Amino acid sequence: MNFSFLLHQTICGAIAAAGFGVLFNIGFRSLPWCAASGAVALAVRTYCLAQGWNLEAASFAAALTVGAAVQVLRARTDISQNALDVTGCIPMVPGSFAAKAILGMFALTSSSTTDASETLITAVQFALRVTFTIGAIGTGLAIPTLLLRVRVTR
Amino acid sequence: MDTIETLIPEDSGSAPALEPMAMVALDAGRMLMEAGASANGVDEIVAKFARGLGADRVDLRIGYASLAITIGIGPNGITRMREVGHLGVNQRLDQELWRLADRVSRGELTTEQARAGLTRLATKTPRHSAWVMAVAVGLACAAFGRLLGVDWLGTGPVFLAAGLGQFVRRELLKRHVNVFICATLVSFLSSLLGGFGARWAGSGKIDMAMIASILLLVPGIPSVNAQNDILEGHPTLGSARAVTVAVILIFAAAGLWFGQALLAGWH
Repeated sequence: MNFSFLLHQTICGAIAAAGFGVLFNIGFRSLPWCAASGAVALAVRTYCLAQGWNLEAASFAAALTVGAAVQVLRARTDISQNALDVTGCIPMVPGSFAAKAILGMFALTSSSTTDASETLITAVQFALRVTFTIGAIGTGLAIPTLLLRVRVTR
Repeated sequence: MDTIETLIPEDSGSAPALEPMAMVALDAGRMLMEAGASANGVDEIVAKFARGLGADRVDLRIGYASLAITIGIGPNGITRMREVGHLGVNQRLDQELWRLADRVSRGELTTEQARAGLTRLATKTPRHSAWVMAVAVGLACAAFGRLLGVDWLGTGPVFLAAGLGQFVRRELLKRHVNVFICATLVSFLSSLLGGFGARWAGSGKIDMAMIASILLLVPGIPSVNAQNDILEGHPTLGSARAVTVAVILIFAAAGLWFGQALLAGWH
């Protein structure tokens, strides 16, 4: 696979996760952990996509990896586990698909729609991909939490 | 003596005041929920507070807009409810609440001290400044744009449009504008600016630049929380969160649609 593309996706994932970390009011000292979490998520997802996996499966594998890594590292980070793994997976939330799905639904109501059935199928496909991808991310994050949860200090 | 009367224990009069204990535990749960926690976290922190302050029994009902608790010590019991405000995300507050909960659960604080601690956290927990947030969100959306395939010419406009959108969103929410209306206004403004900027810069990915400019509005944490809540046995709360996420997305898409329509008609 193309290493420079993998590096590009990883860096973009790190920047997006750190940026959203600021939005979620995570302290500056903890932001590198958010960036690392986002970088791991995008690196795994990009690698899996390059291996021919579909988006949902790749997102699941990435979320599973991030969730497990956060569980292992949580004692060192001084940041809540929920914040760290969710922030890392934020760059994988398919917001653009959601926007396209809803815009497709809007377009169906327009009198100028030339091919309504194709517009409907495309919108439904985007909506399903959003649902399945968010489901994959949520499930991927939940599995390590439920399996490896250690209730010591938070 | 009637049978029913045997079920009602006599008040021993020796139990500590349950009312302040219940309200402090509820306030801790409310603050954590408003800071973006999932239902299990809220359940856990309320139990830590209530038991740390001396309760023997704790039962909590978590709704989208309210929390209800029943706590008891010996034969005495009390049920109280508390309204929950806007569900945002504030991780530093989340972290500090857990630290306070640990101290309470070790029995280091009285009810009054715990209440004072919560008040201090509510007023003193620092937040990033509006400008820092705007720059960070601008960078995040620009990075999102690159992940979505926006070319370099379109990345600068996405940064500016999303940063400005975040600034406007914060100002609108400070003025208590409805969150859904706010999503439409910010989406319209950011997508229009992102689209204009990308067109002016000569980008070949104007549509994707417009979408990337509004990704700050995608409620990522609520959508993950919705699923976690359902998986962890709170389907009512999870469903309410999912519906809210869907409505925010629809309102944001409406703003984007207006922006696209205006840009298409502007030559």
